[in-house]
Amino acid sequence: MMTHTPTAPLVSVIIPVGDRQTPLAELFAEYRRGLELLGAPYELIFVMDGPQPAYESALLHLATDGVPITVVSLSRRFGEATALMIGFEQAAGGVIVSLPAYLQIEGGEIAKLVSALGSADIAVGYREPRAGGWFEALRRAAFHRLLQFVTRLQFRDLGCNARAFKRKILDEIHLYGDQDRFLPVLAERHGFRVAEVAVRQAKDQLSPWSYTPRSYMRGFLDIFTVFFLVRFTKRPLRFFGMVGVVTLSIGLLELLYLVFDRIAFHSPLADRPALLLASLFIVLGVQIFALGLLGELIIFTHAGGSKDYQVDRVVHYPGVSTDREDSPVSIDSTTISRYPHRQVHR
Amino acid sequence: MRPSVGVPATPKLSVIVPFFNEEDSIDLMHAAIVRAVEPLQIAFEMVFVDDGSRDGTAARGEEIARRDPRVRFVKFRRNYGQTAAMAAGIDHAQGEILVTMDGDLQNDPADIEHFLAKMGEGYDLVVGWRHKRQDKLVSRKIPSKIANWLIGRVTGVPITDNGCSLKAFRGALIKNIPLYSEMHRFIPAMASMAGPRIAEIKVRHHARQFGKSKYGLSRVYKVLLDLMVIKTVASFTSRPLLWFSLLCIPLTLIGSTALLAGLLTGARHGQISLPLAGSGLIFLMAAVTLMASGTLGELVYKLGDVRPDQFARLSKRTSAGGRST
Repeated sequence: MMTHTPTAPLVSVIIPVGDRQTPLAELFAEYRRGLELLGAPYELIFVMDGPQPAYESALLHLATDGVPITVVSLSRRFGEATALMIGFEQAAGGVIVSLPAYLQIEGGEIAKLVSALGSADIAVGYREPRAGGWFEALRRAAFHRLLQFVTRLQFRDLGCNARAFKRKILDEIHLYGDQDRFLPVLAERHGFRVAEVAVRQAKDQLSPWSYTPRSYMRGFLDIFTVFFLVRFTKRPLRFFGMVGVVTLSIGLLELLYLVFDRIAFHSPLADRPALLLASLFIVLGVQIFALGLLGELIIFTHAGGSKDYQVDRVVHYPGVSTDREDSPVSIDSTTISRYPHRQVHR
Repeated sequence: MRPSVGVPATPKLSVIVPFFNEEDSIDLMHAAIVRAVEPLQIAFEMVFVDDGSRDGTAARGEEIARRDPRVRFVKFRRNYGQTAAMAAGIDHAQGEILVTMDGDLQNDPADIEHFLAKMGEGYDLVVGWRHKRQDKLVSRKIPSKIANWLIGRVTGVPITDNGCSLKAFRGALIKNIPLYSEMHRFIPAMASMAGPRIAEIKVRHHARQFGKSKYGLSRVYKVLLDLMVIKTVASFTSRPLLWFSLLCIPLTLIGSTALLAGLLTGARHGQISLPLAGSGLIFLMAAVTLMASGTLGELVYKLGDVRPDQFARLSKRTSAGGRST
C-alpha cells in the first residue's frame, strides 16, 4: 500500500490527544494524505492524555488501511509534553514527527518538515499566512518578544505543534508538563541545529481557540520556568545572588540613612517603624543569598554526573599508516558510553 | 611530524588546548607543541577542543587530527565556554600528567618542559605565572591583581596569577575535581580541597597575534560570586555547617542587642520600643533560618555524589619532599 524506497528510515508520528480535537476520521485522512508524500514507512502513535473512551473506541474502529497504529492511554491528564515523552518510548523510527490532535497545518506540509531535517536536527513549523484577529496577533507577538528577551533566542511560532526531529533530541532532552512548546528553545540550548519551516495553516482550523486567563497565567509561568532552565540551572547564585544583593543593599542603605538621621538630627531610632522595614530587607537579602548558595551546593555535589557540554564528535586516528587516512579506530567503549550520542567521525 | 608513530595506551603527557575561533592559531599551536615536546623523548598526546567555533577552526583541527595520530580533536556542538572546554579536554585526556594552555598563542609551549621538571619534583599541581604580562594595564592587569589577591585571601591558596591557563596537573587529581561553569579560573582553589602540593613557575607570555581578547571588566561580579561558591563548597568538604554557622554569629549578635535595647527602653519609659525589639526578633529569626539552611546544605552534601573522603584520599597519595611555595 505504502510506496517507499526500502532504505528510507521509519518515521514515527506522535499525536498527543488533549482537549482540543478534530474528528478522528477527518484528522487521519488529512495526516495520512501528507504522510504518504514522505515516501517512507511510517507509524502513528496516539497518546491519550487523560481518559477519552470515545476517542479510543473511534481509534479501534478506524479503517487504518495497513498503517500501524499504537494507542497509549494515560490514567489522567499529565500535560502534552509528558504525553509526547510517553509516545516517544513507543516510537521505533529514527525520525519523529509530533502533530497536534487537531488540524493545525495542512497535511501536505508534513513532508516539508521532514525534508528540512537534512540540514537540521529539529524542524519546527511556523504558520504563514496566519489566521486570527489583531488581538491574537498581539498576544502572540507579546509572548515571543518576552521569550526572546528572556532566552535571547528568536522563534516565530512556538504555538505550532507540528515538528519533526531526530531521535537523539528526545534521547537527550527530558520534557514534562507543558514544556513541549519550548522544545525548540531547549534543543537550541543543547546545541542542536534548529530550522524553522513555513507551513500553511489548515483552512478549517477550528475558529479561534478561546484562551482563558488561566492559560495566560500558565504561559507566563512557563516562560519563567524556561528562563531558569536556560539561564540559571547551572549557576543558581548568579540569579539569587543578584536578587539577594539588591535586597540587602536596599536594607543597608535605609539603615544607613536612619543611623545618619539619628546622629545628625537626633531623631530617635527606637521610635521609627522604618527600622523594621530596613531589617526586614537586610534579612531577606541574606536569606535569598543563602538559598543561592544552597543551590550551588546542590550543583557542586552533582557536577560529577552531569556534563556541562555536549560533544559533537571526536576525531582521532590512532597509529595508522601514512597513506590510509580514513580508518579511525573507534574510541574505547568506556568513554563512548559517557556521551551516548557522540559519533566518531567517518 | 611522524604519522607512523602510534600513541601508547597511556601517554605520559597530555597537552590540552581549547580553541574558540582560532583558525589562524591552531596550526601554529600544533606545530609549536610538537616542536617543544618531541625533543623531550616522552610519549605524549594532544587534546584539542573546539568550543563551537564559527570560523574554520573545526575543519583545521580535523585536518590536524587526520595528519597526526597524537591529536585527539573534540568538537563541541556549540560554544560552552572555556571551563567546559577545559573540562572536556581533561575528560578525554589519557595522560598521567595533564598540561592545559590557551589556544591563542599567548602561552609558549616551550615552557612545558619546565612544568614537567617541576612535576617530577613531586608536585601535584604546577601553576604558571605570567610575570611579564603583555596586556593592557588598566583594563586587564590591575583588576587581575586585585582578583588574585582576593582569591588568595578567600581560598587560602595564594597564587600570583590565577588567570594563566598554562598549568600542569596530575591526571588522577584533576579528573576528580568537579569543573563547571567558569570555574577554570579557580582550578587551583578547587583542587586545593584535595590538599595538593602546589608550585608556581614563571612562564613566558606573548601578546595576542590573532583575533581579539574574549574577556572584559564585566566578569568582576561573576568572580566575586564564584569566590563565595568556592568558599562554601570547600568549607563544606572539610567542616559542613561551619560556614553557615559563622554567618549566623553577626546576625545573632545584632538581633540580641537590638532586642535587649528595645526591652531596656521599655523598662525606662514604660513602653517597649516596637521597632527595636521587632528588628531584633527579625535578625534572630534570620539566624535560625540560616542555621536551618546550613543543615539542609549538609543533607544535600550527604546525598550528593561527592564523598567526604574523596578528596582526602586524593591527597593521601601525595608524595613527600619539596615545599609548596
